[in-house]
Amino acid sequence: MIQSISFLREHPGNGYYNHRKKGLVGKKMGEMHEPFDFKACANILKSTGRSVGNLHQLRDEIQRASGSSIFHHTYQYFLKGRMLEYTNDFAEWTGEALGDRALAEELSNIDPYDFTDIEGLRNELFRVISSHMEKHPEPREPMPGNEFYFNETVTLIYPVGIRASNLAELYSAIKYVDAGSIYYHFYEARRRGGGPADDFSTWIEKALAKTELAGRIRAIDPLMYTVEQVRTTLSRIIEYEVRRDIEVPPQ
Amino acid sequence: MIEQYADIAPQGDILLLRKLRDRLKGRSFLHINSTRAGGGVAEILNRMIPILRDLDIDARWEVISGDERFFDITKKIHNALQGRMETIDEDMWQYHLEVNRMNAQNLRLDADAVLIHDPQPLPLIEYKSMGTWLWRCHIDMSSPVRSVWDHLNGFCTKYDAAIFSVPKFTRTLPIDEFIISPSIDPLSDKNRDLSQSEINSTMDNLKIPQDRPIILQVSRFDRFKDPIGVIQAFRMARKYNDCILVLAGSPATDDPEGAMVLSEVQEAVGEDADIHVLMLPPFSDKEINALQRVATVVLQKSLREGFGLTVSETMWKGKPVIGGAVGGIPLQIIHGVTGFLVHSVEGAAFRIRQILNDPETAKKMGDNGREYVRANFLITRQIRDYLSLWYSMENRGANILEL
Repeated sequence: MIQSISFLREHPGNGYYNHRKKGLVGKKMGEMHEPFDFKACANILKSTGRSVGNLHQLRDEIQRASGSSIFHHTYQYFLKGRMLEYTNDFAEWTGEALGDRALAEELSNIDPYDFTDIEGLRNELFRVISSHMEKHPEPREPMPGNEFYFNETVTLIYPVGIRASNLAELYSAIKYVDAGSIYYHFYEARRRGGGPADDFSTWIEKALAKTELAGRIRAIDPLMYTVEQVRTTLSRIIEYEVRRDIEVPPQ
Repeated sequence: MIEQYADIAPQGDILLLRKLRDRLKGRSFLHINSTRAGGGVAEILNRMIPILRDLDIDARWEVISGDERFFDITKKIHNALQGRMETIDEDMWQYHLEVNRMNAQNLRLDADAVLIHDPQPLPLIEYKSMGTWLWRCHIDMSSPVRSVWDHLNGFCTKYDAAIFSVPKFTRTLPIDEFIISPSIDPLSDKNRDLSQSEINSTMDNLKIPQDRPIILQVSRFDRFKDPIGVIQAFRMARKYNDCILVLAGSPATDDPEGAMVLSEVQEAVGEDADIHVLMLPPFSDKEINALQRVATVVLQKSLREGFGLTVSETMWKGKPVIGGAVGGIPLQIIHGVTGFLVHSVEGAAFRIRQILNDPETAKKMGDNGREYVRANFLITRQIRDYLSLWYSMENRGANILEL
């Protein structure tokens, strides 16, 4: 069962004791496993030179745009690193520039991680906009200068020189590394892995055999948090586990 | 030198700079623009070149020279690219090209990467002998005069790539186009921390009283910066709040209109003792720093703007900024979070009153602004982007590069 983060905040130990009783705790000290090597990514923004000024044009351009551009305006939205009302650039533009809050809500509800490839995501964006236009055919134009500009990125990936070999080290590193590193391992990992898992939970499960903890991390909804909020939430969940590991049970 | 930024800039930027240094050390990187003093480009190059050298990049900065006629023409070109109707006749274009030809004879243009800033030296591409050539446009190109842009486009498309500050300035070009925001240097005299005694003595020297809230705009005396609109907004706000206005600017050698606009401003000020117009000499960085720190409200009420770096400078000092919603200003001001975006004189006046009357919100916006600048608009990020772009141009076709 996947629990909400708000529930886990209030009950961070939920599920933990059950697993302890069953003996499903992590590997013992000294067991060998691959360390977690932190990397980070940075993007250079590249213009496609194409822009649109209304919904018809947006829908048509979504069909034509490069996969890299669709990727940038959806998956990479969370690199902005500030509190966001929407979950992708298309939703933000329709809500803010066109004032079409209903469509913005529908577009925000699209989870890019539900799709195994960009084409699936592109088709869903197209379907949602088309369906909305059937119900609301009247054109909406933005203020001059508020057109939507299709961009893409060149991504540079680099090691940050930080390595964690156990949970306590992972906890310290997560608090210390830059937002670009959290983004790379929490968001970008899903695209690389082609699944719903981030690098942290994958490593915790495989290297530390802490399945329950991995599950709690996977329960973090990637679309509902900024990168900094993800860092805070990860820290809280892992800190609790570390504390439990080092506590001596009462005699 | 880069170590000095380690405790200020995001650590990821510093790490990536070191990785890029490993790839690019010993290579040559030439910057060319049209002035050594005045304006944001010269200011950032003054700081960037030493940092690039510290990263073992063989960085050079050349400045093209020209006479009054040349800079009159290039100012017209600049204005036309920002949307003001100007006529550039064939003689003027020929002169623009001729001055560039003469400069090409006097300058060393050989480098592994050449970054040409703005339209004044754009035709130098005709004299390319080696390396990757990049054109960096700092101007608001959202609605240029078509005929002027069409002419410049002939040069632009000969470059390997073009760089713009904001997505809306980009054009449909047959070459790669990148978007790189400019930046501020947190360690420069303009942005470093100042003691209270330094601030006080600077204000005394400038004869700016500190007994009432100060409304400030720092900018060239340029119509696109709307200094008259700032005066009007101040006078509306002053009806409700006792405050003073400071308009501070510096002359730029490539801006022949500055004196004319300054005299228009002085005429609008008249005998108003609450308005202080300061024409500061070039490199009055400490004075501007002190003014931004002592101000209660800072405006950048531009009508057109390349990027408007004074916004980031002010946000770095923890002050909320009221800015015109043009050019790169909306990239820096998140409305209601780091300041306010306005579309009119009335809007500016209203937001001035709001900030003057709600110091708690002003403080919160100021704190948000400083952090936003740290993450996005420091010089380390801009150098990181230039070197990343150069490296990516040498690995063309790859969207993902592992270092």
